Amino acid sequence: MSGGTSPIFGNLNWNVTPYTDAFQHPDSSTIIGAGAASVLVLGAIAGLALLTYMRWWGPLYRNWLTSPDAKKIGIMYIALALVMLTRGIIEGFVMRAHQATALGTLSAQESGLVAPDHFAELFSTHGTIMIFFVAMPLLIGLINFVMTQQLGARDMAFPVLNQVSLGLTAAGAALVMISLLVGQFGTGGWTMYPPYTGKIFSPGEGVDYWLWAILISGMGSTLTGMNFAVTIFKHRAPGMHLMRMPLFCWTSLCVAIMLIYAMPALTVSSAMLALDRYADFHFFTNASGGNMMNYANIFWMFGHPEVYILILPAFGVFSEISSTFSGKRLYGYTSLVIASMSIAVISFTVWLHHFFTMGQSAGVNIAFGIATMIIGIPTGVKIYDWMATMWRGRVRITAPIVYLTGFFLLFVIGGLSGIILANPSIDYQVHNSTFLVAHFHNVIIPGVLYGMLAGIHYWFPKAFGFRLSETWGRRTALLFVGGFVFTFMPLYVLGLMGMPRRSPTFQNPDFMPWMYLAAFGGVLMMCALASLVWTFWASYRNRVALAVPGGDPWNGSTLEWSTPAPVPEWTFPCIPQVSARHDWGERKRAGDPWKGPAAYTDIEMPANTVHGLLIAIAAFALGFAMVWHIWWLAIISILAIPGIVVIRGLRVIEPRIIPAAEVAEADRRFRRLVENLPPATRADEETERNRGVPDITEFAG
Amino acid sequence: MTKPNTGELDPQDSAASEIKSYAVGFVASLLLTVGAFAALLADLPTTWKVVLICVAAVLQIVTHLRNFLHLSFAGGESEEDMLLVLFSVSLLAIMAGGTWYIMSDLAGRMH
Repeated sequence: MSGGTSPIFGNLNWNVTPYTDAFQHPDSSTIIGAGAASVLVLGAIAGLALLTYMRWWGPLYRNWLTSPDAKKIGIMYIALALVMLTRGIIEGFVMRAHQATALGTLSAQESGLVAPDHFAELFSTHGTIMIFFVAMPLLIGLINFVMTQQLGARDMAFPVLNQVSLGLTAAGAALVMISLLVGQFGTGGWTMYPPYTGKIFSPGEGVDYWLWAILISGMGSTLTGMNFAVTIFKHRAPGMHLMRMPLFCWTSLCVAIMLIYAMPALTVSSAMLALDRYADFHFFTNASGGNMMNYANIFWMFGHPEVYILILPAFGVFSEISSTFSGKRLYGYTSLVIASMSIAVISFTVWLHHFFTMGQSAGVNIAFGIATMIIGIPTGVKIYDWMATMWRGRVRITAPIVYLTGFFLLFVIGGLSGIILANPSIDYQVHNSTFLVAHFHNVIIPGVLYGMLAGIHYWFPKAFGFRLSETWGRRTALLFVGGFVFTFMPLYVLGLMGMPRRSPTFQNPDFMPWMYLAAFGGVLMMCALASLVWTFWASYRNRVALAVPGGDPWNGSTLEWSTPAPVPEWTFPCIPQVSARHDWGERKRAGDPWKGPAAYTDIEMPANTVHGLLIAIAAFALGFAMVWHIWWLAIISILAIPGIVVIRGLRVIEPRIIPAAEVAEADRRFRRLVENLPPATRADEETERNRGVPDITEFAG
Repeated sequence: MTKPNTGELDPQDSAASEIKSYAVGFVASLLLTVGAFAALLADLPTTWKVVLICVAAVLQIVTHLRNFLHLSFAGGESEEDMLLVLFSVSLLAIMAGGTWYIMSDLAGRMH
């Protein structure tokens, strides 16, 4: 930044946008940068115009942004994640396109679509976005939406805290998004290892954008973890013992525990790096007693549990759908519970395998290598349990089952390459190569992404009242499977051929055929993204034919299928008495599961509040001000956050009461509707005859 | 383990004793924080300073758990509280012990 820091605008000036670069040095790299910024600006303008034209500002504010309802918060998390997913996939595609054109020669070593610095920004934002602003919001959103309903609870234990968590996550995501237009993002990868990311080697705003996005959204995730844990321990319906909880709730509990214990490590490592950068501390500097290796140590103390935070909810989803779509009871419930809890605990003992090559002695490496191999065992147990669940079941090949099949085939390969990498002597050979890139995409895409998309497909009717198109759902799933295979299998080969990861250029022409294959895979991934968007749009247009007001389109066995679709804000007209593990299924066996409750009572729901929104705005302002050294704004916003909390604490806030008559009226209407709808058999599941009331004589789960 | 849907407070827990518990915790935390600073500024050997600060820190953790988070090993939920503390301590021991193990090994190989 030329010139000093202005007292009003900090380091901001008119030269921070990518347009300046594009005008001064127009080439493919700066034009792509300016193009991305334009997409952001035009997208924002289009969004605002649409909201204004459709007069949606009021409903958006009243029904969504100020709602403390866990189900709506869950949907907003998922919407945020899908927006970020779009950016993440496009960035991945640009990187694949770049590397397919990046063959340099000895005389002209740099080549390709984007400049090396731009490429570094791309892989840094891609990783940051995909982990923190796609995978995390997807799974937290899905847990928010599903877990409360499965537990027989009306809401989270702390609904307003839940809103604050969403606000903090969105503020972090907004910081990453605005870095497209204002300034640049860091170039240190999603892990941002110092000393490269220290002030000496990375001056400027890039690393700060990452730091504040992570610090702010990380706080949100920690709070969410506490919220989930308290909800599971305190808000289960009467009779819902821990060992009667659906498996998705068990994996949510594991996630909650891991969020509580792992996220603070990330906050600590980022805060220490921030102190280094802002206040001349020496935690991770080269000189003055700093030790940058401790950053890797603390970061991965968070980072490895994080990997299992991402995958466990997907395991929960697969447990639910393998049982539902096979028409069979889940095989090995207890072993799945034990396996999930084992994974949650063992995942805290393996973090060193992310830096086997950092220089510690062989004994240390072996200790963590063995721990890493052990964690494969509970994961293997789960795969066998799901296969046994589907064995001799009446499997319907719905979109979630396509994802599950893709997961079976591909995740096992990813897991095996992980077991290979757990051996330090092999890790030394392929460390920092694209073999590693292939490995972690091979567990995250078939695991997390397929799991979450399968979950969205499965629970979508519960949220919006209509099913997603199975045809387009299956096409999307197959495209994601094909896209994955073509993009990442070549990277295994390239890694073994010696291609380093994060490399903007290379001089070996033997890489080219594999690069082209991977670029083709990138095209398939873009098609999968388009197909995903089209699935939502086509299903929305066809929503009358796909409507399932009966609320149980898949003949499920867990509590959330007992309510109408879309689910009312109070979820259950009266809190169910649980008497079995698959309570809804048992009620189907006993006959007449839709019998109404004898009496209705007033329902207390948390009142809408603007609290979370205000905190999100203040947190975003704080992050932005700190990134650009706008000190006055930083001071105001950092005082505003406790101020908002205190003001809310001083006010008496009454819950909203929904009168018994209103609940009774809505509920009786639903019961009458269910009686009049014709039951759909499994064969009818994908047709218009499926109105959400299954033929309960067919239930076998 | 948990009695489901029991959000209600113990009626015998009157507001006065609640406030007293918080006040005691606040004063104790304050004293322990000031004590740690005093230990740092005092004319003591470094080892003693480190030991004193560590002891003050651990005592402060105990104070927070007891007075602010209401953990107790006697009464209805003592078993849950005990499990929670044991689980937290074992995870923290893994993290702290692991860091010690890794970083001391690295340091040993650097010098």
